[in-house]
Order: sequence, then C-alpha cells, then structure tokens
Amino acid sequence: MSALGTLAPAAVDSLGALASGGAPSVAASDVAAVASGLVVGTADWWFIGEPADWWFVLDNADYLGVGVLLTIGLTVASILFGFALGFPAGAVEVYGDGLLKRAVGTVGVVLRGTPIVVILIVMYFVVGVPQINFGVASLSPPVVAGILGLGLRSAAYQSQIFRATLASVDDGQLEAGRSVGLSRFEAIRYVVVPQALRRSIPGFQNEFTIVLKDTSIVFAIGLAELLTRGYDLFSERTTAVLEVILFISAIYFVLTFTTNRALDYLGTRYAIPEGEST
Amino acid sequence: MSDSDDGFLRVSDVSKWYGDEQVLHDVSFEMSRGDVTVLIGPSGSGKSTMLRCVNRLAEAQEGSILLDGEEVLSPDLDVDDLRREVGMVFQGFNLFAHLSAVGNVALGPRRVLGLSEREARERAEAQLERVGLGDQLDSYPAELSGGQQQRVGIARALAMEPKLMLFDEPTSALDPELIGEVLEVMHGLVDEGMTMLVVTHEMSFAREVADEIVFLDDGRVVERGPPDQLFERPEKERTGRFLERIASHD
Repeated sequence: MSALGTLAPAAVDSLGALASGGAPSVAASDVAAVASGLVVGTADWWFIGEPADWWFVLDNADYLGVGVLLTIGLTVASILFGFALGFPAGAVEVYGDGLLKRAVGTVGVVLRGTPIVVILIVMYFVVGVPQINFGVASLSPPVVAGILGLGLRSAAYQSQIFRATLASVDDGQLEAGRSVGLSRFEAIRYVVVPQALRRSIPGFQNEFTIVLKDTSIVFAIGLAELLTRGYDLFSERTTAVLEVILFISAIYFVLTFTTNRALDYLGTRYAIPEGEST
Repeated sequence: MSDSDDGFLRVSDVSKWYGDEQVLHDVSFEMSRGDVTVLIGPSGSGKSTMLRCVNRLAEAQEGSILLDGEEVLSPDLDVDDLRREVGMVFQGFNLFAHLSAVGNVALGPRRVLGLSEREARERAEAQLERVGLGDQLDSYPAELSGGQQQRVGIARALAMEPKLMLFDEPTSALDPELIGEVLEVMHGLVDEGMTMLVVTHEMSFAREVADEIVFLDDGRVVERGPPDQLFERPEKERTGRFLERIASHD
C-alpha cells in the first residue's frame, strides 16, 4: 500500500503549481510525505496524492454527485434558455431594423459587459425571482435566478454566434429563395437558417464550455454545485485539496469532452457534402 | 416578335435610380406569350437591373410593367404571388447549398405551392430529368459542375410552372466547355414555347432563338428589333460598334 502514495518528480512540480493556488499548506504536507522516504514504485509513477485522501474523495462522491447534477442541470437549462432568446436576438440584429434592432443590440451589449456574478446577484437579490413549481418538482428561487442569469448572459453571447453565421450566408441564397416565391421569413427559415446553424457549431462548442464552467459562480447566490461542493470537502479535510481538485477537474473534462464530441458528431452528421458551395 | 402582339409583358418607360444615379431611363419593350426576348448591352448598361425589375428583385421607381394585364409595379401587388409565376435563373446559380438537387427543386413546390413531400419530390425528379440530370438527383451543389448546377437552377425555376422565365446571364459564370449544355436546355425550352426574357452575351444563341433583341446602353434602349435586322443592319452606330466589339471576342 505504501508504494501507492509515491510521487514521480514531475508530479511533484505540478502538485506544487496546483496547490499553491488554493492552500499552500497542503502542498507542503504532501511534498513532506514524498520526502519521508516513500519508495518510487515502477508501476506507480503515475499515482498522485495520498490514498487516504482519495478514499475521502470517493467516500464523498455522492455529495459531489449532487453537485454534478446541479451543474449539468444549470448548464442545460441555461443553454436552452439562451438559445431560445439568443437565436431570435441574433436574427433581429441581422434582419431587423429600427427600434427593435437597437433595443436588442443594446441589451446584448449591457449583458455581455456585466460580470456574470453581478448578473446572478441582481437576479436573485434585486429582481427577486420566485420559486417555480412543476407539479412533482419545483425549482428554488436561487436555481431560477441561476438559470435566468446564466441563460440571459448566454443568450447575449449566443446572439453574436448566430448573428455572425446568419450574416455569413451569401445574399444570393436569400434572393434565390425569394425568387421561387418564398416569403422573406420562409426564405430565411428554409434556406438561410439551416446553413447558418451548421456554421454555428464551433462557436456553440465554445459557448457550451463557457456556460458549463461558469455555473460554479452560482455559489454567489448560495447554490452548491460541483466546484462549491469540492471547496466544502477540502475545507473539511485540508490535506485533500489536490485529490478533490483533480477529481472535479476530471468530471469537468468528461462533461466538456463528451458534449464537444457530441457537437462534432452533429457537425459531421449534417455536413454538406463537399463543403460550402459558391 | 411573333405575328401578333398580345401584350403579355408590356414594359413602359421604366426608370430606376440607385441613390442619385439613374440606371434605367424610360425603358420600354413588349413581349407576346411564347416570345423570346434577349437583352444585350455592355456591362453596366442596366440589362440585369431591368430583368430584376420584372420580378421585383429590384424596384423600379417610375414607369409600368404589365404582366398578363396586371401591374407588376403596383405597391398592392403580392410579390410572392408574382415570383411564383415568374421563374428566375441567376448568373451565379445560387443553388441552396445545403440541399441536394432534388431538395433544391422541390423546395418551392413543397413550401410555396403546398405540395406533399412525395408530390414535390416527384415533380422535382421530373424537372431534373427534363434538364438531363436524372442521374444526379441526390447530388449536392458542391458535387456538381457549373453547367450541372445551372441546369438544376433552371429545373428549380421550371418546377414552379412559371408563365415567364427570366435568365440573368445564365452562362457568364461557366467555363467555356460547360456553356453548351446549358444553352441546349434553354433551346429545348424555346422549342416548347416557353416565354423567356434573357440577358446574355451569347450572341449566336441570341441570334438563333430570339424573336426580338433589345440593345441597352447606359440604361437606355438604344435599338430593338428582330435579330436579323439588329445584327445585319443596325440603325444606330452604337449598336454596330457594340456588336463588332463582341464579335471580335468570339
């Protein structure tokens, strides 16, 4: 068992770098563990951290699991809400005119220019959103505020993704649609939007990743999602900072990796053969 | 021009400005049903703009365009209804890049005419057969040659069963060896009696199929008449000079 606690020299470096951001004292204790004569086993060069601390993390996996669910829930709800608002907003910025276009543009600038923590605090403490009941389940006010805040900010970002890709479709496409008798709306809907959505996937991958990681900021309104729960854990057991952080990072990685790959697949699945024409 | 003028398309004193610049000056000409009229002229002469005024992709500010007795330029006109009956073929093809050949041709019948999915597809297949692309039904625009793309463009317009077809320099963007297949399809339409208003630089095609040639320069009709007269005995010096210049490039 003792060999499991060994550290390769490279890992010691990364350990120091990681831990110095959070709790320097932990780094010192872990490095001390290495120094106290644990053997560097040939098969265990990859092993980082203390077995006891890893057991602590695994013992609390259910506690972190609830955080994961909240993180996923907030991300999905915020992205969907952001799409529902952001796509029309982007379309208005490209095809709209007058007051509506200016209003949408201004709201977008304000939302993109405000720190997410401020948006969340305003939603929760100033707007004072209510609890929402769905019969069997209900969303507490902080969750509603989190979804609204993250969703609005995402809408503002997503509007710019769609604004760019809608505008990137050649005007001749819209014109050709109109020439067979489609209305402006229909030509946009059936000709421009399907092409613009395909081109939106890379930007959308970015946005998804940003929202996923920014869900951690709902701690500001009292919600304990994945990262906040991790913080709780290593506050309780200060030697386990590295183990907790690595464990949480792995979860974030799995979440971003799978969603990015899923979107890659979507992009390949709906790719236009031979790429863009004209 | 055909024997009798039935006033199918009557363009009268059409003028258009882009800002302060007047690009069409009192343009007038007429077509009967089944006529082929070819607009020729140097680039920038306003021939494409004139063509686009007929289906309101460009807006003329003055004058009158009567199609089948109806005022095209009327502000009350439903432009979607107009375009459903007037087919357009573009210089740059403008095929819907995300749709297969069949998808391109079927979109109008499906969404504008309200045909079922199956009916629209059948109609699209028939039109693609008509332009010789029965073996490319499921190809995407980027997989087709320029000549094939333009034939899909023609099929797309034909699928709406238009009473007038507009061609805006349909072969200008094509490699020389691909022009023939498009002209061949257009020849076929002429033989079927389609009414066609064509902007082109293909003088031999114009000469062969046109009932009337309209020569535009600087936004004005300089001269118009049957091809033999216009090509052999142009009345205006400018017409002669333009035709000579074109001929020297052939």
